[in-house]
Order: sequence, then structure tokens, then C-alpha cells
Amino acid sequence: MAERAPNRAAAATATGPGRVLIAVYAVFALSATARAGVQLATQFHQAPVAYLLSAFSGVVYILATVGLARTGPAARRLAWTAVLIELVGVLVVGSLSVFDARAFPRATVWSGYGAGYGWVPLVLPLLGLFWLYRTGRTRTGEAR
Amino acid sequence: MIHPLAIALLVLTGGLALFGILTTVLGRPADRVHAFVVGVVEALLVAQALIAAAKVLGGIRPAETSTFVIYLLVSVTVLPLGLQFARAEPTRWGGTVIAVASIAMAIVVLRLLSLWGGAGG
Repeated sequence: MAERAPNRAAAATATGPGRVLIAVYAVFALSATARAGVQLATQFHQAPVAYLLSAFSGVVYILATVGLARTGPAARRLAWTAVLIELVGVLVVGSLSVFDARAFPRATVWSGYGAGYGWVPLVLPLLGLFWLYRTGRTRTGEAR
Repeated sequence: MIHPLAIALLVLTGGLALFGILTTVLGRPADRVHAFVVGVVEALLVAQALIAAAKVLGGIRPAETSTFVIYLLVSVTVLPLGLQFARAEPTRWGGTVIAVASIAMAIVVLRLLSLWGGAGG
């Protein structure tokens, strides 16, 4: 499986399967941000909350991508934070869109728990947390 | 857009994704073979983007023209970046990185097709 650097302070999150994870995050960062950009530029007045939420999710995906791609405690903290926000976001927005469909038209990445994106937005933060936990365990020092 | 070319690209991007996953299963890092196959698919994506751009400039307007153009730009930029990212990875996982990029491109081609829709040509 993944090759690990022995006796380093932290296992890098950016190599092995982690690189695949980063690739998926990068794709979502790109698609969510581009989508939000177009929506905000052309039809902001139609559903401002949903479109601002799209933009927010794009930023969260960008931060998660950067946090996972870089090495070091600061990057790891960033990745943990971004992925946790992502998980909360997809669960809250997903639930709101299901139980109060009129408040949330199908217009964000997280609507319907990411059903419009093959449920990848729901699975991705779980994989991200698992990967951060697993690479974090191999180190000796700092907390987390 | 040229419909047969778009269909061929759907098949090719799907095949490239399977190839990438296969090399991960076989434990091979991304190498020159990956670069060659990605190059072939990328060349066809560029051809499609040029043809579609020429048609848009020629006055055909697909639904949401600006979104369409953004998708065209994305369709030619992601695979080269994905290949670079994959080849910088010394482990077997490079192939799956290429697969992710390739699946994303398949979805982009599908979106391009649906946006083009009734625009003709």
C-alpha cells in the first residue's frame, strides 16, 4: 500500500492514495467555484443564498485541497478544519434541501447531500477525515 | 460541436479512466505510456474545443454561452495538469489520479453536449 516516510514527524497527506483524494478535491474546488462565479455574475438576484452558499463551498474545497496538498502542522490543521466544515455543510445543506425544498432550490453542490454530483460530496469529507486520521496517527509529537 | 467526436471522447475518457485504475491495481506508477494515452485524448479534446469555439464565433449560440465557453476551457486544461500531478507521484496511485481527471472530462463532455443541445451543427 502507501509508502510511508519512517520516523518523520507526520506522514505526508499528499502522497499515495492521498494524491487521489487531492485530485478529487481539486476537481470539486474548480467546479464549485466556477459554478458559483457564473451564478453570482449572471443570476445573483434569483437565489442569492444558494449562490453565496455555492461560493462558500467552493472556498471550502479550495482550502481543503491546499491543506491536504501541503505538508506540516499548519497545513494539517487547515485540512482538518476545512474537511470538518465540508462535512457539516453537506449534512446541514443536504437536510435543509430535503426538508425545506423551497428554501433550497437544487442549486448548490451540497443540495440533496450532493446527489447531483453522484453523492461524491457526501463521501469525500468522510474519506478526507479518515485519511487525515490515518496519516496523523503515524507521527509521534503534536496533538491530533 | 461534432456529435460523433463527442461520443468518441466519452468512450476514450472512460477507457482512460479504466486504464489508470488498472495500472494502480497492477502496482505501476504513471509512466510514458500514461503520458502517451493522455496525449491522444487531450489532442482530441483540443480539436473538439477548437471546432466548437469556431462555431460559437461563427454565430451559433448554445444555451448559456458563457458557461459553455468555460466548460470548453476546462475541457483542455485539466488532463495536462492531472498528468503532471500523477507523474510527480512515485507510487502506483498516479494512474488513479489520471482516472479522476479523465472522469471529470467525461462529465465536462456530457455537459458540453447537453448545453449544445438544439444549437445545431
